[in-house]
Amino acid sequence: MLVKEAKTEEPWRVGVLFSHSGFMAVIEDTQLRGTLTAIDEINDNGGINGRPIEPVIYDPGSETAAFGRHANRMMVEDGISTIFGCYTSSSRKSVLPVVERLNGLLWYPTLYEGFEFSPNIIYTGAGPNQNSVELCRYLMEHYGKRFYFIGSDYVYPRMSNKIMWEFVRTNGGEVVGEQYLNLRAKPKDFIPVMKDIKETQPDVIFSTVVGEATSTLYQAYMDCGFDPKVMPIASLTTTEAEISDMGFDVGEGHITAAPYFDGLESEANSTFSARYKKRYGADEPTNMCLEAAYFQVHMFAKALEETNSLDTDLLRPTILGSEFEAPQGKISINQGCSHADLWTRIGKVNRGGRFDIMYESKSRVSADPYLIGYSRSIAF
Amino acid sequence: MSEHKNTAPGSKSVGGSPKKFHDLSVAVITKRDDHGENLIREIQKTRAKVQHIWPIPEEIPTDFDIVFCELVDDLPSRFKGVPGSAHVTFIVVIPANGTMNQKVLENSVPHAVIHLPCIADEVLSAMIVARSHFQYERRLRQRIEKLDDNLRSMKTIERAKVIMMQTKNLNEEEAYKQLRRRAMQRRVTIGALASSIVDSQELLG
Repeated sequence: MLVKEAKTEEPWRVGVLFSHSGFMAVIEDTQLRGTLTAIDEINDNGGINGRPIEPVIYDPGSETAAFGRHANRMMVEDGISTIFGCYTSSSRKSVLPVVERLNGLLWYPTLYEGFEFSPNIIYTGAGPNQNSVELCRYLMEHYGKRFYFIGSDYVYPRMSNKIMWEFVRTNGGEVVGEQYLNLRAKPKDFIPVMKDIKETQPDVIFSTVVGEATSTLYQAYMDCGFDPKVMPIASLTTTEAEISDMGFDVGEGHITAAPYFDGLESEANSTFSARYKKRYGADEPTNMCLEAAYFQVHMFAKALEETNSLDTDLLRPTILGSEFEAPQGKISINQGCSHADLWTRIGKVNRGGRFDIMYESKSRVSADPYLIGYSRSIAF
Repeated sequence: MSEHKNTAPGSKSVGGSPKKFHDLSVAVITKRDDHGENLIREIQKTRAKVQHIWPIPEEIPTDFDIVFCELVDDLPSRFKGVPGSAHVTFIVVIPANGTMNQKVLENSVPHAVIHLPCIADEVLSAMIVARSHFQYERRLRQRIEKLDDNLRSMKTIERAKVIMMQTKNLNEEEAYKQLRRRAMQRRVTIGALASSIVDSQELLG
């Protein structure tokens, strides 16, 4: 079945769903910016087949249920089928039934815990085999085998820690503590955790704290006089955005695994960074979530140029298997699982609030959201 | 960032929207009496391409986008393979003055039902609902197939790993690493590679 689109200059309308208010805005706002940067870039170059992309933007305000409600409103009232959005796994899970039932297409630009496959989602952030595996190896090699887990209390940290726990254990390590804090945790909530860390003396703190509470955690760590050289906080979610929020001195020396860091040397990244910084300020850092939000719009645009239709049934097969020269390097959308094949990198925060690259994969790492090519038995 | 909401009238087109019907092929398997003619005219209003078929063929055709078929007692046995194996959007037509056998209707697993004589808009609404259910069912089936595939792959990879460990004298971690590397070099999935390793091992006996 072919959907014919008449010759028209009517814009291509797409949905954009990131929080610009509430406790997740610190990172989701950068994803919104990344999305808009790409849309502007495309429109400045004449749009897609002569038609501009028009974003319809709603603010779910860091409230999980609002994501599902807004996605529904976009699809039902606004007639939109392609949506860019979501940071937390809970928000994605809130949108998932909407796009699955109404046949929408959600582009999800955030690392997550894996173990999901929706025919209506394109996943462009890292899964556990693209960040946790190498991070675990690196930490054990450089810092030691005693891990302390601290996370925000929702689905991603608990799932992610379960996976990390398996990696740690099968490599002869041990988890000496595990704590979960409310997403809106205040400084005082971190005091007992820091006390516990002082007592258990782990080699590494593995953090899956997200949003505003990230700064609070790193600040509490600093206030206790801990030394990142001997016991760093390692994370999959602390990006340049959170470091900039907490202050460079607070973040210095800590570790993050990500497909992308600000300042990577590549032509695609220079173009992207220059464009972003021109729009949002020279001091505004880029980050992995922003980068994924940016390149996924370009991948969508490439597919749309070919299909000339927003019909999900036409777009999806065009997107699967496609490649793109992203700021992080050449990436592709894995044909089999609609997750992106991405680069693995490990960075350490320097004095300037940017990451020095400590490890980089030789090529992009194939997406394996169910970890079927890895030895650890993940029990749920 | 301002929140804009502009609902352009007439631009709604989600799921099985009316504007998509003009490209669909539709088979209508009913007697061509006044009610049958009326049904065909209603479907033609959606601009779908209609083909009339009568009498009911031994096998309900599946090379259409939507099939309307009169409810007859042996309808469930006229499907190729399992009824409702989701090859086609299927709408059952209950003839005027006909009796409706509940069991037969249930076993025919239609995506929607209409009664003759059809009233205006009933045909279109049945087509919209049926199409949407059919496509949703197909997406869910794809998802299930994918998950089944994953489970199969896990088992095969497990066996390939053991073969690698034994024949190459590797530990578990090294065996997985080699499997991943070779799959990448050959640009195949790790499941496909594992399955060829297991197959060749079985050939060797």
